[in-house]
Order: sequence, then structure tokens, then C-alpha cells
Amino acid sequence: MRTFFILLIKELRSFFLSPVAWVVLAMFMAICGLSFSWSINILREKPQDQSIVQWTFVPVWFWLYYPFLFPLITMRLFAEEQKLGTLESLLTAPVRTWQVMLAKYFSAVIFYVVLWLPVLAYFGILTWILRGKVEIPQGALVGSYLILFITGLFHLALGSLASALTKNQIIAAILGFAFILLHFLIGVFVMQQAQDHQEFRPIMDYVAIKGHIESFASGLLDTRPMVYYTSGTLFILMLTHQVLEYRRWKS
Amino acid sequence: MIEVQHLTKRFVGRTAVDDVSFEVGKGEVVGFLGPNGAGKSTTMRMLTGYLPATMGTARVAGHDVFSDSIRARREIGYMPESVPLYDEMRVVEYLNFRAALKGLRGRAVKENVGRVMDLTGLKDVQRKIVASLSKGYRQRLGLADALVHRPRLLILDEPTNGLDPNQIRQVRSLIAQLSTEHTILISTHILTEVEMVCRRVIIIHRGKIRADDTPENLARSSRSAGMLTVEMKAPAEEATEALQGLAGIRRATAVPSAANGGWQQFEVKLDTGADPREEIAELTRGRGWPLRELRANQATLEDVFVEITQRD
Repeated sequence: MRTFFILLIKELRSFFLSPVAWVVLAMFMAICGLSFSWSINILREKPQDQSIVQWTFVPVWFWLYYPFLFPLITMRLFAEEQKLGTLESLLTAPVRTWQVMLAKYFSAVIFYVVLWLPVLAYFGILTWILRGKVEIPQGALVGSYLILFITGLFHLALGSLASALTKNQIIAAILGFAFILLHFLIGVFVMQQAQDHQEFRPIMDYVAIKGHIESFASGLLDTRPMVYYTSGTLFILMLTHQVLEYRRWKS
Repeated sequence: MIEVQHLTKRFVGRTAVDDVSFEVGKGEVVGFLGPNGAGKSTTMRMLTGYLPATMGTARVAGHDVFSDSIRARREIGYMPESVPLYDEMRVVEYLNFRAALKGLRGRAVKENVGRVMDLTGLKDVQRKIVASLSKGYRQRLGLADALVHRPRLLILDEPTNGLDPNQIRQVRSLIAQLSTEHTILISTHILTEVEMVCRRVIIIHRGKIRADDTPENLARSSRSAGMLTVEMKAPAEEATEALQGLAGIRRATAVPSAANGGWQQFEVKLDTGADPREEIAELTRGRGWPLRELRANQATLEDVFVEITQRD
């Protein structure tokens, strides 16, 4: 465990010393800020069926930046180490491959969580400004953060796998984006099919990420997506471990 | 310290290391030589547990490097050929990180990092970012990293690669200094370095071990050992015949291109253990042939290396 934490701290330092991380953080804050202010404007114009939480997390433009986030966070994780050869010095120290993999993965998870904290602060500030005049739906907020966290774990695992597959960061980013997009499109396809064919409904409940975020953002917590994303994450992390071992063995 | 038995590594389409067996005792300094692609780095990577073997076993300090890899790796300080480092870190941060990763804690980290920085001359640059270091300092940092946890075995892959002559000399003297405390397996292309530092040499070629002995014994076994060069003013044919008539001389050959103003050079192959230099001097005096050179050829490790690696 100690080795894991040493590696995790090193990874977090590397993250926050890299200019890419700060650019992503700044851009993400700007996008989320805009998204939040648009949500407020929409709600000021006329009464809406959806809450401010839903308007913040479920609008169409959310899908324009959300899938890009993960490749940007994960692209350097393993690809850079493999390119520089530092993976060799890391794995010839008394360290196991899974410790390296998990430390890198959790550093990405921590960075991802840090990315979403300012949005939570926006809601806090709004509540403070309005001081009881408007109630923020707490259940929807918790649900939104929960599903963003769980889908984040899954997508970061996909990005880590992409980064383990290549030495080139750009290829890792493109590959990671392709994996995430494929998963998203499968979900959209299944959702469309489910409208006409009942047999697609159970599958939709598991794989349709768009549907998951919408239902969680409305405050409806469903255990099926949680099981799906958690088990998917574990499976992809195991796959990433195998890829790293395979690449080491054939190097 | 190292026991390697029938170690084999096959990649798709080629065998990089082919049934290699050798042992390295405690305190030995062994040079691991071979041309590019001979299998040196692959063998070293297997010893450090980075690469699994296709067949065979390897043990370091009694620990199997494949089944008991973590314990084996604790005994090894490894410096890879390309000296991969984290460019964004400061020198002292990098060493602290590596020391902690190798199991040192608290005060031991600080003490050992200070010790290796003193040893490798990194004190002056300890606050510098690794990316800004010169090649020489990067090499020293790689060496400091290998040494930081006081490993019993040091595996150094081309430690002087890309250094200028002054830096090579510094690293060489450092290795000589380290040889009093550590068992060292060192791979290099610079053969003079091996002659100066190593007490034993293993030559690997096309994945197989071709020679394993002291540098002196290897030099003695060279084809160019047991040869004399003689230069005198004499008719080639007559002198060749006269030389071949002397005891202890197996064959004498006039070197045609060396004929210059009546001076003629001869290469003389001797019987094992023979030294007929006095007789040759006597012969030239008796025949009235002025003698300009009479030299016993000293075979070098380079001669042996070239002979072995160009044999097939």
C-alpha cells in the first residue's frame, strides 16, 4: 500500500506540474461556468419542467465537451512512460505492475474529481446568494455527482487502456475518444431501438449513458448502471494490466 | 550473487538470448561485452525482472528473478542504457522518490540521497530540473538512482554511453570505487574501460556466450598473441628461411607492403611459450642484417572481441 501511495503522490505532482492539466482545468471551469449561467438565464425567462441541476448537467452542449475530457486526462498516463522508457526503471524497482497502473489511474480519478469541484461551488454560491428563496434539489445534485463520478471511473479506465496500448500520446487520445464515443453511440442506438422494441429496454437500462445521466440528474438513483459501470471499470482495468504486461514482455 | 541457467529469450522471429548460463560471485566486477543486438540488454533486462524468460532460470542473491521478483529487485541497482528519467522533477526530488520506492523510509531516505549525491557529484545541481541537466549529469543521476538503496548487485547497461572523455574517466573511477562494496555487471562497448575496471569478461554474440575469462587470459588466447614483428634490412626469401630455421618459430612471413628502401617487415608466429627474440637478434648480427624493430605483439581485448564477433 505504501508503494501505491508513493506512486500516487508522484503521479499527482506530475499532473499538476503539467501545463495540459491547468489548461484542461481552466477550460473546463470556463465551460461549466457558461453552462451554469445559461441554466440560470433559461430558468429566469419562464418556468421550466427541469431543475437547474438538470439544465446544468443534461443539456445538449454537455455532450460536446464531456467525451473530450477523458482522453485529455488519460492520454499521457502510460504512453509517455513508454515513450520515455521510464516504465522500465519503474518496473525494475521493487514495484508491481498493478501498483503502477492503479496509482496512475487513481491520480486521473482525483484530477477528474477536482475538475468537478468548482461546479459544486457554483451551486453553493447560488444557494448563498438566494438565501432560501430558491431551493436547489439536493437529491438531483447528489444523483448528478454520483453518476458523473461512476461514469467518470469507467471512461477514465477506457482512457487508461488507450494510453497503455500506444507510445504516442496523440494516438492514445484519439483511441480513448473513439472508445468513449463508441460506448456513447451504442447507448444512443439502444435507446432509439428501445422506443420501438421492448426487448431492448433491459439492455438500455444498462448501457445507455445518456439515459443514466438524465435519470440520475432528476434525482432517481438506479443501482443497475452503478453495477454496470463498476464492473466495466474493473474489467477494463484488468485488461489494461494485461496490456501493460504484454507490452513489457515483448519490449 | 548471480546464477543464470539455460536462460533463453525468444521474440517473434528471432532468439535474442540462446541458452545462456553463467555465474557471478559476490564482489566480482564483470564486463558483459558484445556487439549491438548480441543480447546483452535483453539478458540484463531479464536479470532485473523486467522481461520474463522464454526458458531457463536466473537467481540474484538467492532469489529467483521471475518467481520472487520483488525480493530479487530489492538487491539490484539497475541503470538502463538510455537512462530514462522524469524530466519535470528536481534532482533531489527524483532521488527521494526513487529511494522511497525502493523501500527506504524517513531519515534513511535523506541520508542515502545525500550519500549518493556526494558520491556522484550531484550536490551542486540538486535543485535543478532534470530536463535541464547535461548528458553527463543525467548519467550520474541514473547511477545515483541505481545506488541509492545500497544494492548488493549493480547492473549497469552502457554507463558511459555518449559521454565525453573526461566524463568517461569520472564514471570509470566511480565504478572502480564502487567495486569495493558491490558486485557489478557492466555492459559497454568501450573495451579499454573493461580492461581497466573488470576482473572478468563475458563475451556474448548472437545470443550465446562465446568467452568467459579474465581479460588477461582472453588476450593470451587470441590469435594475435604469440606473434613477433621483425623489421630488418635483408632479402625477403633468405631471411624468411633463416627465421624459420630457428627453434620456437612456427612460421615466418614477409609482409610485402612493408618493404621500403630495403627494409623488410616479417610477421613471426611462435610455438606456444617460445620467445626466440635473443636468437633472432643473434641471427641478424651474424648475417649482417641491420635490425630496426623486434617486437612481441600484445593481444588486446579488442583483438579477442573482433576475432569472436567476426568469426561467423
